[in-house]
Order: sequence, then structure tokens, then C-alpha cells
Amino acid sequence: MFPHPRLVRRARRLLVLLLGTTAVACTDTKRQALADTAGSISRVPASRSIAPADTDDFGVPLPTDARFAARVVSLNPAATEALFAIGADTLLVGRSRWDQYPQEVVRIPALGDGIRPAVEAILAAKPTLVILYATAENRSAADALNRAGVRTLTLRVDRIAQFHAQLRALSVAVGAEPRARVVSDSVQRTLDRVRAVTAGVTRPTVIWPVWTTPPMVIGGGSYMDELLEIAGARNVFHDAAQPSPTVSLEEILARAPQFVVTSAKQAGELGNDNTWQALPAVRDRRFVTHDPAVTGRPSVVLGMAAVQLARALHPALADSLP
Amino acid sequence: MTSDTRALLDGPSLGFDGITVQYAGRPTPALDRVTLHAQPGMITAVVGPNGSGKSSLVRSLLRRAPVTSGRVLLAGADIAVLDARSLAQHVAIVPQREEPGMPLSVREFVMLGRHPRRGAFGAPSNGDWQSVADALARTGMSEAIDRATDTLSGGEWQRVRIARALAQDTRVLVLDEPTTFLDIAHEMAVFELIDGLAREGRTVLLVSHQLNLVARFAEHIVLLSRGRVAAAGSVETVMRGEVLESVYEWPLVVTRDPAVGVPALLPLRGRGRAR
Amino acid sequence: MSHSTGERHHEPMSLRHAGHWPWVFGAVMLVGVSLLGIAFGAVSLPVSEVLDALRGVGDGADVAIVRDLRLPRVLLAAAVGAGLAMSGGALQGTMRNPLAEPYLLGVSGGAAVGAVVAMALGVVSPTLLTACAFVGAAAATILVMALARIVGGSGDTRLLLMAGVVVGAFANAAILVALADAPPERLRGALWWMMGSAADASWGAVSRSAGALVVFGGLLVWRARDLDVLALGGEPAAALGVDVDRASRRIFLIASWLAAATVASAGLVGFVGLVVPNLVRALGARQHRPMLLLSALYGAALLVLADLLARTVRAPAELPLGAVTALVGVPFFLSRLRRLTA
Repeated sequence: MFPHPRLVRRARRLLVLLLGTTAVACTDTKRQALADTAGSISRVPASRSIAPADTDDFGVPLPTDARFAARVVSLNPAATEALFAIGADTLLVGRSRWDQYPQEVVRIPALGDGIRPAVEAILAAKPTLVILYATAENRSAADALNRAGVRTLTLRVDRIAQFHAQLRALSVAVGAEPRARVVSDSVQRTLDRVRAVTAGVTRPTVIWPVWTTPPMVIGGGSYMDELLEIAGARNVFHDAAQPSPTVSLEEILARAPQFVVTSAKQAGELGNDNTWQALPAVRDRRFVTHDPAVTGRPSVVLGMAAVQLARALHPALADSLP
Repeated sequence: MTSDTRALLDGPSLGFDGITVQYAGRPTPALDRVTLHAQPGMITAVVGPNGSGKSSLVRSLLRRAPVTSGRVLLAGADIAVLDARSLAQHVAIVPQREEPGMPLSVREFVMLGRHPRRGAFGAPSNGDWQSVADALARTGMSEAIDRATDTLSGGEWQRVRIARALAQDTRVLVLDEPTTFLDIAHEMAVFELIDGLAREGRTVLLVSHQLNLVARFAEHIVLLSRGRVAAAGSVETVMRGEVLESVYEWPLVVTRDPAVGVPALLPLRGRGRAR
Repeated sequence: MSHSTGERHHEPMSLRHAGHWPWVFGAVMLVGVSLLGIAFGAVSLPVSEVLDALRGVGDGADVAIVRDLRLPRVLLAAAVGAGLAMSGGALQGTMRNPLAEPYLLGVSGGAAVGAVVAMALGVVSPTLLTACAFVGAAAATILVMALARIVGGSGDTRLLLMAGVVVGAFANAAILVALADAPPERLRGALWWMMGSAADASWGAVSRSAGALVVFGGLLVWRARDLDVLALGGEPAAALGVDVDRASRRIFLIASWLAAATVASAGLVGFVGLVVPNLVRALGARQHRPMLLLSALYGAALLVLADLLARTVRAPAELPLGAVTALVGVPFFLSRLRRLTA
């Protein structure tokens, strides 16, 4: 039985109205023009060129000089650490409470969360530039800040190339380009060294779990996958486009990784988890241990992270590594 | 009142012409080609056992029953051309059941009877207030005007509903079982009220199962049985033992009450019982 | 006819006459909480600075906080609260049930599906997200009404309620499926959206919500007399000259779309649409026109207050608006329950 013809007519009228509404909404072209890299869409990661982009991750043009650098609030842990690394920490007047590196951050006032931040608290610190973490949830905060006349810089680092790009963008924004180049080069040199040392070895297959239920692992979209490659391993989920895709245990079993990259604490949890026991690598305790404090953030410690992983994966090469 | 004046004030006739009502999923129609007419100036009563289609008749007038054929006529014209509002300006209907919803004052409740004549905006006019007051006076509920509808007894609720219909100021009045919940005194009072309204020239259609009272007040009676007209006519024609017994399927006796001079129905005990 | 006393005895005072004081009180309350909402927030500012900031004078940051953050937020909360209360009042009248609320006819599920699916497809613009949520809610309402009609007759309230439950359950399932393999960010974003917040208060959002309030709410107020009659029930309403099917369908759609507009702007905020009309009726506003207008007034005040609490109680963190209204609504609900059974 089909709905009453009157209802069908009404539905048609409604469709026209709705299309009209969406058309109106779409005239908000400023925000339409962006590609949001907030990790929600699967995409094959083309090797990111290190060519500079003109806008940040929300489509706002990047500052071309340091005119906004008087008072900086950074609600982005990687950015905060980077600012300290390039000596721009004197400009910081606020951070998020999740920004914990380096240790000196404690002297910077914490203004709340980095995701869905309290815009009032940020404005009260009278910033000239606010650095935000690029996720869809921060859009309204970015809008609110822009409306209030505060310049925003919204970035995130998923891959190593983005680390370099973020460092460059920050350095331009705070007027510390030379120092940033030094840091950038130093990190890259370490990475290149490790890559060279591990060039010829047999690569063990690994997975790097980040959550047990549901099983989430590091995929090809993450810098951690790049680190694994540099450190001489092969991530069985390298073909997954997202940084941390949800997979099934069956899929993990099918790909039969030889090792599991975990922290010491996580190794204990995995060991106790009944379902993960099915994985031979877990059952036999074939763990490659890393320190999340070093590997967990895409920052100036990337080089160190690569070294640490390489040592854990290839103990025989320890002497050749930096 | 002279017969000329009466003719001027007379309401339109109300007629059902071959009305068939068929509810979905039921094997037989609730009403099967029922034809009956109610003339102004008298009470036309529709009687019959439960399930004979009496309420479907009223619903077809309300246009809330699936009418598959036939027409309802007002002064000879098909009401299909009238929208609900226009119909309500000519015909006032008191449905059988109405549960009190969210409480209103009696005043507000009866004022709703003026809805078909009022615009979307604006306070009630003096004429509106007068109609409400008259309606309450006629039903004897004037003193309850400020009470809440959820504080009324069953009988009071019934009378207030009739008052609302009266406030519509129509020449045609249709009432479906208006004396449920009323005691003898109030029931008689309502019948006398309806009788008075009819004598003033209105067309009154009364659905009731109170055969004895109907016999005393109605001039034209239509007896329904299983969706069909089993008998129609004056009291003498319809109130006959064999007719009624076959329709109600219960042993009964029709006597003639000397006090009132019209036939009266007396149901007997079931077969094989005394008294 | 003899004078008859009621057989059931209730409170000696039968019905309150509204008079003017609920309006005055409501207006005062709305203005009062609005001023509080502008004066208070995550950051404490002295009153003199707030007043200066309103006029555009003083420290740039303070002006931004007051005029760009707090003011539109207060206005959005007021528009949403008014819309929800009016929607609930209209539905309670048409369904003859004081427990009806604006999300009954699939609005909440539909809006959430619209928003979550949009997020899953990568929609990021708040404006577009709003539009998708509205489309989802509007479509769900039509679906509920079509379902009820197909199953059997349009007027039956029970069928509508059941269709609403069915569509709501289906919507919940769809949302869970859409979120099953979502990255943690999207999960969090969807959850926050569903919990209700007046944080996305751009002036565009304010004008859209105010527009919906004026258009849909205005339609309801215009049709308020029909609502009075519809509230009597199907047959009495038909007897009084109302095309019951058409009129109630219209009211369902308008009331639901008004609610949909509020959900699109502010997520799911419960209890306002349920509680405020009951409160207003208890204050003596029984006819639908004054009841709807008064509900708008009190609904606005209530939500502005709830939003103020949401952003100050645990500053700088924000509580979800839906949680605050629930916390306020539940005790109220319990007190009404006691009166019902008393």
C-alpha cells in the first residue's frame, strides 16, 4: 500500500524545500572550500610533498610574518612543544591542560581543554594568535575566535612531513625561521641515519595496537607507521589509509604479524585479554617494547623515537645507531 | 406562535439518503442503505439495539465514518459541498462519548461552542457571551460557570456538553445518547429540554436507547436493526411487540401506560423465569 | 432544574484565573536571566565592564566575550527554549496528553541521524550540519505520519505514538551503525552534538532559530483556536467545525518542524518541551493562545538559565545543555507526579 497521494505531493514539496535549504547552506562557501584533514575520511596517502601550503587545516591563510606573535596561546601539544624547541616559548601566554612537554610548560597558564576549548577563557588571556588542534570539533571555537578578531592557526600532525610543515608554519608565525630550520634538519638527519642503518635488514612484520576493544591499530596514515618503516619493520596494516583504523581480530590473525609493538603496561593488558590470546605473537609474548612518552607524540623527539624502535627491533644493530 | 411565524423560524430538514457505512475489516456494513428524514418542529428518534448502527449514523454526519454510498442532506442539499465549519454553523452535534481532557472552566468549555462562528483572533463578542449564558441557563448549569470541567459529576458533564451544542445557535440539533449517566430527574429534564427546543422549530435528531422516553417525546421513530431500517413511523407504528421483540431478540411486552397514554415497553425475564 | 453539587470534590478553588501576573513575572524572569547570562560566564568580569562591553566600549577581549560570545548565546538559548516549549504545548493539546513532548514524532532520532550521517560523510561546516539535521528531523516526522496513516487511519494518537517509537528505534540503530567504526574524534563529536549545547551560537544560527520560531511558532499561535477545539477530542472537534485530520496533521508537522529547528541548532535538549507547558497551564493559561505565548516566554527563560549553569558550574569546562535541563526537569516531574496521585 502506498502512501496517500496527498502525502506524496507533500513529500515532493518538502524535497524541494529541503534542496533549497541545503543550497542556501552551501552558499557558506568560505568554509566549504576546505579539505578537512581531521582523519575521518579514508584516503590513500600519497607521499606528501614538502611543498608549503598557503592555508592552515581550516582554510585560514597562514601568517606570512610575525606580526601576530605578540601573545600566543597554543592549545596543541605538538605545537607547544615545537614552540619551546624553537625558542619562541617567551611568546606563550596560555596552553591547553594536555600540553605537557617539555617540562617547562608548567609555567605557562593552562586555559582548559584543547578540544572544544572555553573560548571565553582564551579571550581573557588577550591573545593575538591562537594555535588550535585541527579537528572538526574545534570549528566552532575557531569561528568564535575569528569573529572576535583573533588570528587562529589550526594544524595537526599525522605524518612526518606535516611535522616539518607545522614547524615551518609556526616559525614563520613567530619569527624564528633559522632556529626552526636547525631543528627540522636535526630531526631529519637522525631519521635518515636510522633509515640507512636498517636499510638492508630483514624486516619483521608487526602490528602496533592502540586499543583492545574494539581492536584499533596504527595504520598507514600515521607517523608511527613511518617510524616503523624507518626503524626496519613492516606494519601489516600499512595499506590502511587511516592513522588508527578499527580492525577485526580475524583480520589481524589473517595478516599474521610476527611481533606486537607495545608499551610495557600495554603488554600486560594484552597478555591478560582473552580474545587477543588467539594471536600467536601475543600468546608467545613476542613484544617489541617502546616508551609511549617518546613515541607517542609527533614532535622534536621523532628522531629519538625512531632510534628507540630500531634498537628494540634490531638489537644487533645497536652500536651503529645514533 | 402562529403557524406562519413558526414556518419562518423552522430549521432545515435533515435527511440520510441511502447511507452505507462499511468499516474496513468488518464483514457486513454498519449501515446498509439507510434512509431517514428528520423534519423541523419535532423530535425524530433513532433507536435500536447495540451494534445496530445508531452511532455510525451520527459519525457519518460528523464525516468520521467511511461512507461508501449515499448522501446526507440538509434542506435537501448534499452536505458534501459544505466544509466542516459551515456545517457546524447549521448543525450542532453532541457525540456519544467525550472524555474530559485537560480541565477548562465551564465558561471556557461552553464558549468553544461558538468556535464555528468566531474568527481566528479577537475576544468573544457580546453575542457570544449571551449565547453561552443562555445555553447554560437552559441546561440549568448557570451556577457552575466557574467550575473546572474535571470537577463535574457525570450528569453535570453531560449537561455542559449539551450547553456547548446549544451555544452553537443552530437550527438543527443531533444528540447521540445524551442521557447516559443521568438519573431519572435529570433524564426527564433533558428530554423536556430537547422537546422544548424542537417545539421552537428546530430539527432534532435524537439517538437513544431509552425506548419508553422516546415513545413519550418523539413524533417520528426510526428503528434500526443490524444496519438496516427495521421500522419507521409514528409511535404506534414502531412500538409494537412483535417488531421490537424480533429486533431486540428478548421477550417483551408492550403495554399502554394509562398515565401517559403512549405505548410502554416492558422487558420480561428470560425464558423459564418468574417475575 | 435543581441545583446540583458535584459528586467528586476536588480543591475548593476550581480554576485559577491567569490574569496579568504570569506574563509580568515571565517577562521579568526572561530579562533577568538574560542579563545574568551576559554578565556571567567562564571568565568573571565586573558588572561595569560588562555594561561597557555591551556598548562596545572598553577592552577588546571583554567586548568580544560579551558581544560575540555571550550575547548571541543567550539569544540562541532563548529562541531554542521558546521553540521547544511551544512545540511541546501544541503537541500536548493535539494529543490530549500532558506527557507529550516535542521529540515524540521522530524529531530527535531523525535529527541525530541527519547530523551523524553528515559527519560521517565529512561535513564540517556547522551551517551545513544544521541543515542536514533539520532535513533528517523533517523527513522522520513525515515518515512517522505516513506510517501511522498506512497502518490505519490518521487520527489515532496511539498509532502515531507507536510509529514515533518505531522510527526512533530505527534511527538509533542507524546512528549506532554509522558510529560503529568511527574514529574516536567523530564519536566524540557525535556524542557532544547529541547531548545538546548552545555553544555554536553564531549570529547566523541565532537568526535561523529566531526565524524558525517566528514562522513556525507564529503559525501555531495563529491556529491556536483550532488547538483549543482539537484538544476536546476527535468527534467533538469535528462537531465544532474543525477538519480534524487536516488540522491535526498540520499541527503535528508545524510543531515537529519547530522542534527540528531547535535540535538542528542546539542538539537534543529534553524536558523543556514537556515541563514548561504543564507549568504554564498550572499558572492558569488554559486557552492555547495565551498558553503557547506564555510557554515561549518561560521556555526561553528556562533555557537561558540552563545554558548559564551549563557554562559556569564547572568552568572552564562545559556541561551538556541536555544534562542540565534533565537535572532540573526530573525533580519537577516527580513533584507533578505526586500531585497526580494525591
